[in-house]
Amino acid sequence: MKNRLKVLRAERDWTQAQLADALNVSRQTINAIETGKFDPSLPLAFRAARLFGLRIEEIFHDQEP
Amino acid sequence: MSQLSPPETGYESRVRTRVIQLFRWCGVWAGTCALMAFGPKFLWNKGLVFTLLAIGLNVCVGVRTIVANKRYLEELDDLQRKVHLNSLAITVGVAMIVGVPYSIMASYRLIPFHADVAHLVVLMALTYGASNLYGAWRYR
Repeated sequence: MKNRLKVLRAERDWTQAQLADALNVSRQTINAIETGKFDPSLPLAFRAARLFGLRIEEIFHDQEP
Repeated sequence: MSQLSPPETGYESRVRTRVIQLFRWCGVWAGTCALMAFGPKFLWNKGLVFTLLAIGLNVCVGVRTIVANKRYLEELDDLQRKVHLNSLAITVGVAMIVGVPYSIMASYRLIPFHADVAHLVVLMALTYGASNLYGAWRYR
């Protein structure tokens, strides 16, 4: 799954630690999501969408097979 | 939203609190294990009542340690839970795969030393630790 988390974070000039704090997760988790090593759960994806004021599919999108 | 307002208690500090609680309970549990193992010989001259009390205390503290571990796992985020789940899966698998042949080898006296369940516990602890380290490195 691809995501725009890094871009959205950079647009707001937030650090990974700040985003992690706002989403109530570890900085390692944010890094793993941004680098595509880990796909977030639905509740975490909803929290991210709420934080950025976007829909989930505007942040996360499925990769074409 | 242009400003991030951090929550009252950060994720890291809450996890740290749970880890400290878990370590404390593990320490108390290890203490009750020592009491149970050495108390009958060195403290109360194999008195049955005190031995049973020591065993009961060990079980009660053990249950509390399990609860502390459960609370620690519940506090973790998605990724950390996944790392722990992978570690648990590897640990259970290794314990089964090594434990059964080890037991059979011991029953046929194919190992030159006394087979003890503590060996399995140590193996599980080392496997769990190594798996966790690997998980932390993989998602660093």
